[in-house]
Amino acid sequence: MTAYIIRRLLYAIPIALGVSMVCFALVYIAPGDPLQTLLPEDASAETIEMVKKAYGFDKPIPVQYALWLGKVLTGDFGNSIASGRAVSEELFKALANTILLAAGAVAIAFSLAFAMGTVAGYWVGSKVDRFVTGVAVVGVSIPNYWLAIVLVIIFAVELNVLPATGMGPRGSDTFELLTWDHFRHVILPIFTLSMIPIGIITRTTRSCVAETLNQDFVETLRAKGLVESQVLLHVIRNSLPQVLAVMGLQFGYLMGGSILVETIFTWPGTGFLLNKAILTRDIPVLQGTILVLAMIFVATNLVIDLCQTAIDPRLKRS
Amino acid sequence: MVSASSVEPQALADMQSGPALKVRGYWASVAYRLRYDYLTLFFGGMVILVILSAIFAPLLAPMDPYQSSMINRLKPIGYKDFLLGTDELGRDLLSRLLYGGRISLTMGVLPVVIATLVGGTLGVIAGFVGGKVNMAIMRIMDVFYAFPSILLAVAISGAMGGGIVNGMVSLTLIFIPPLCRVAETATSQVRSLDFVEAARASGAGTFSIISVHILGNVLGPILIYSSSLVSVSILIASGLSFLGLGVTPPEPDWGLMLNTLRQAIYINPVICALPGVAILITSISFNLVSDGLRSAMDVRL
Amino acid sequence: MRRLKTTVSAMSIMAALVMGPVQVSAESVLRVAMTAGDIPVTIGQPDQGFEGYRFVGYSLYDPLVLWDLAKGDTAADIKPGLATAWKIDPEDNKRWIVDLRKGVKWHDGCDFTAEDVIWNFDRISDDKAPQFHPKQFASIRNRTGNIEKIDVLDPYKVAFITKQPDSLFPYQLSYWFMISRCQLTKLGNDYEAYADAPSGTGPYKFDSIVPQERLELVKNEGYWDAARVPAHDRLVLIPMPEATTRAAALLSGQVDFVEAPSPDTIPRLESSGMNIVTAPYPHNWSYQLNFVDGNFKDKKVRQAANYAINREEMKALLGGYMLEGYTNIPPSTPYHGTPSVKYTYDPKKAAALLEEAGCKPCKITLAISTSGSGQMQPLSMNELVKSQLDAVGFETVLDVMDWNALLDVARPGRTKNPGIDGINISRALQDPFSALIRHVYSKQHAPAGSNWGHYSNAGVDALIDEIYTTFDPPARLAKLTELHEKMVEEAVMLWIAHDINPRALAPNVKGFVQAQSWFQDLTPITVE
Repeated sequence: MTAYIIRRLLYAIPIALGVSMVCFALVYIAPGDPLQTLLPEDASAETIEMVKKAYGFDKPIPVQYALWLGKVLTGDFGNSIASGRAVSEELFKALANTILLAAGAVAIAFSLAFAMGTVAGYWVGSKVDRFVTGVAVVGVSIPNYWLAIVLVIIFAVELNVLPATGMGPRGSDTFELLTWDHFRHVILPIFTLSMIPIGIITRTTRSCVAETLNQDFVETLRAKGLVESQVLLHVIRNSLPQVLAVMGLQFGYLMGGSILVETIFTWPGTGFLLNKAILTRDIPVLQGTILVLAMIFVATNLVIDLCQTAIDPRLKRS
Repeated sequence: MVSASSVEPQALADMQSGPALKVRGYWASVAYRLRYDYLTLFFGGMVILVILSAIFAPLLAPMDPYQSSMINRLKPIGYKDFLLGTDELGRDLLSRLLYGGRISLTMGVLPVVIATLVGGTLGVIAGFVGGKVNMAIMRIMDVFYAFPSILLAVAISGAMGGGIVNGMVSLTLIFIPPLCRVAETATSQVRSLDFVEAARASGAGTFSIISVHILGNVLGPILIYSSSLVSVSILIASGLSFLGLGVTPPEPDWGLMLNTLRQAIYINPVICALPGVAILITSISFNLVSDGLRSAMDVRL
Repeated sequence: MRRLKTTVSAMSIMAALVMGPVQVSAESVLRVAMTAGDIPVTIGQPDQGFEGYRFVGYSLYDPLVLWDLAKGDTAADIKPGLATAWKIDPEDNKRWIVDLRKGVKWHDGCDFTAEDVIWNFDRISDDKAPQFHPKQFASIRNRTGNIEKIDVLDPYKVAFITKQPDSLFPYQLSYWFMISRCQLTKLGNDYEAYADAPSGTGPYKFDSIVPQERLELVKNEGYWDAARVPAHDRLVLIPMPEATTRAAALLSGQVDFVEAPSPDTIPRLESSGMNIVTAPYPHNWSYQLNFVDGNFKDKKVRQAANYAINREEMKALLGGYMLEGYTNIPPSTPYHGTPSVKYTYDPKKAAALLEEAGCKPCKITLAISTSGSGQMQPLSMNELVKSQLDAVGFETVLDVMDWNALLDVARPGRTKNPGIDGINISRALQDPFSALIRHVYSKQHAPAGSNWGHYSNAGVDALIDEIYTTFDPPARLAKLTELHEKMVEEAVMLWIAHDINPRALAPNVKGFVQAQSWFQDLTPITVE
């Protein structure tokens, strides 16, 4: 087991290196000058050259990559060209804000979806099952940015009960999740983001439960005289690992996929940071944000994998 | 099965057609199961309807989707000849939705098709050849697999700039790794099965093994997986357009229409919701058809 | 519903008790939603275009020369700032003598003197100086590039030596902010630290910043211009790039003052009691043309295009929130004059001019962007322009690109883009150089300047040279007027609209006068 864990961790290193190369290269496949939007529209060629040199963009790209990687390994992602602040400072703050949304959305999705999925899987083919399946399909099919806009119009503009934007009356610096004044800001974004995980986790739970119910041991349990609720408990316990794995994956997806929802709610997370960095072509911020989000995804996958192996050693493959 | 010692030319032919026969029987049973799955049939019909209306948009559209008219902007459903009202430039919304389907569907289907061809081929090769080739292909895929799909799509499109082609390239790129992985897993599993070993032992060429045995058994999982990606592709493409990284105006595209109409949501919310409804219906239809196929083909991914 | 609200308020009271004493302050706060994607940088020259200048630059800092933003009925002009007076040396037309204001204190308590001006000049010109900042250098370079050196005459008097004579030099000084030497030196010339503790002389002092989210400024009680001490206690600046988000934030009471609501949200905002303020301002939504490669090298084609535009229809598209653009600058500008031609909508004349020019069908390609600073509603507006041009015999191709790509076409000029006949890039026309000279002067041919399409006209060049050496304001005004009239007759652009920059204010926001300028004075605003 330990050997497997070590092998799995070692295996993550070349992946991480590959990811860092992709992150770095992404920015350079773009046409045009990396500094253009940061300078006045009528900046002269000579001025641009001067600034390019000052930021190190005049060096050959492999050299830039080596320098960048060396710094990244020490936790230094450079400074944002636009704001002049350390990328790590902006990034980790944004990361915390996005984790709040992603974790909230996944938690809500899990509690709702696991209940719905279990019910649907237990009574496959029933009306309840059809309803739940319908909800799940809508969840994965609805464009969530569109839903966000509709929710803002209903709850912020027309009913005026929830805020339309932002993270609190004084921003994220004094954010206190447990006070209503702040908590109300997370309701709409979390609800919007939870739609896709609700759909996916419901479907996974449903098929897991239905499948487990068909297995021989369930009959054995019933034959032993267990009451139906106890049987169901066994079934749930059997389905849980796979559902949790899917939930973990969804968390990873939300961390990297909240860009649209964050943009609409002006939520100061990584998606918002990324969108801003794309618009202004702020290279250090772009590279750092994509890298860290991808690494979180890699790490999430790794943890899920190890947990699953721990629960079920049969899954261990070369 | 036929023992190796009694292999006659006829028997060999039988054996080769054996799995193929099995495949045919398999497809027949799939078709049988589908025939009684009314939900899938209904949404399959919806998918066909959406595709046909996109293909025949020029015949169906009552007006020119690009013709604007300032006095007719943002009119409600049923205003004069505008069956579904007009957009922010006074263009007929029904015509734009029909034409928009062409772009949105293309952006939903084409990247998946290309990714299926490329990813599927790479996966089959990796799974069949194994060894170092497998290593090389799958490790490169792992690197791209390490990015959440939306993040990668946004990053690629953001780097290359907007436009239909760039949008489709980035979508194709994000779908190749998962498809490659599905193909590789399925191929590795089939490769070690008895009948493939037997065919190999009997001297069948690599190409015929791949084309007859492997593809016959691997195609199912790949196709089902691809079909489930279509709605994902439509959603991500519309999201890219919404962020200004996808389709560029004046092309009608559902995501882009949502984006531009959003400004008018206080004037005519119903009109502004229509492209969203189009995306939702199409996406639901593709999802349910994919689900129906999956259960009919009884494949687990 | 009521029960929910009761529960909610009970919860918040409990929360407040837990968190500490309830703040019972009567502090008046003005919360502004900006269109910028991020908080403009606070280290002197802001980014985020002129919006950064408007809300951060002129709030924290003062330039030597300020803009007079108190009136809304005429185009804003310059007035004394940290300089009290300026005059050209009668002996030397490249030497400006500038008197500095006495008794001005930086927010950190130090005194403002001539040494600060020299130090600030090194900051944006001498890459050996410890306070030099390359991006600050780049962002002000086109305003200060003409300064050869600055001599200190006494602690409150300096002389600017320019490389070329420039009668419009004081205007250039109005964009250059003075930051505190004391503060930056104290912080070891570390701009990252300074960004969180900036110090200027402006009407607002820095209070706090939450990167990406909000900048909070508080009033500077000791501002040197007592008339402009803010009438509210706190100014909160929030970046909100999405127009629908800004509207929703105003409607749900999260902000009090919204920049550039989109025309289609305005009826809803008005019906909720919001005040919409507008004023013409020096902003031109137009196309710069290619005078060398394509069909626009013929003046008749340029005029035809201008006659083809039905600006009334464009106004309808924008819900009335624009001014018809027949000329380069809004009519309320002092040097507008009375051009001999007016490009009122006349499709017959346009078609006839095209016929005369032998351009049928007249193929043109216009580069446009999907969004961007000052581009208004670029997609819908360009669509309309295309349909109007095509109606008189043009065959218009819109080359749609994102804002970055458009800047990539704009910077190098027509030489690198011979296939493009016009570029739709909005320009700020704040001062005579920006409004007129840079578009037509042959020394401003891109990439050296903003004359994108390489307009060349010896007569115009000579006139501009005269303007630069005419230091008597009335005489210069006459020449500037002549230049503008000439530009209109020559149809040096395809003019469509002047923005009137709508802003939406909550009903409790009072006292705002919208100046005819890119910059605005928020200090008189009260929040009830």
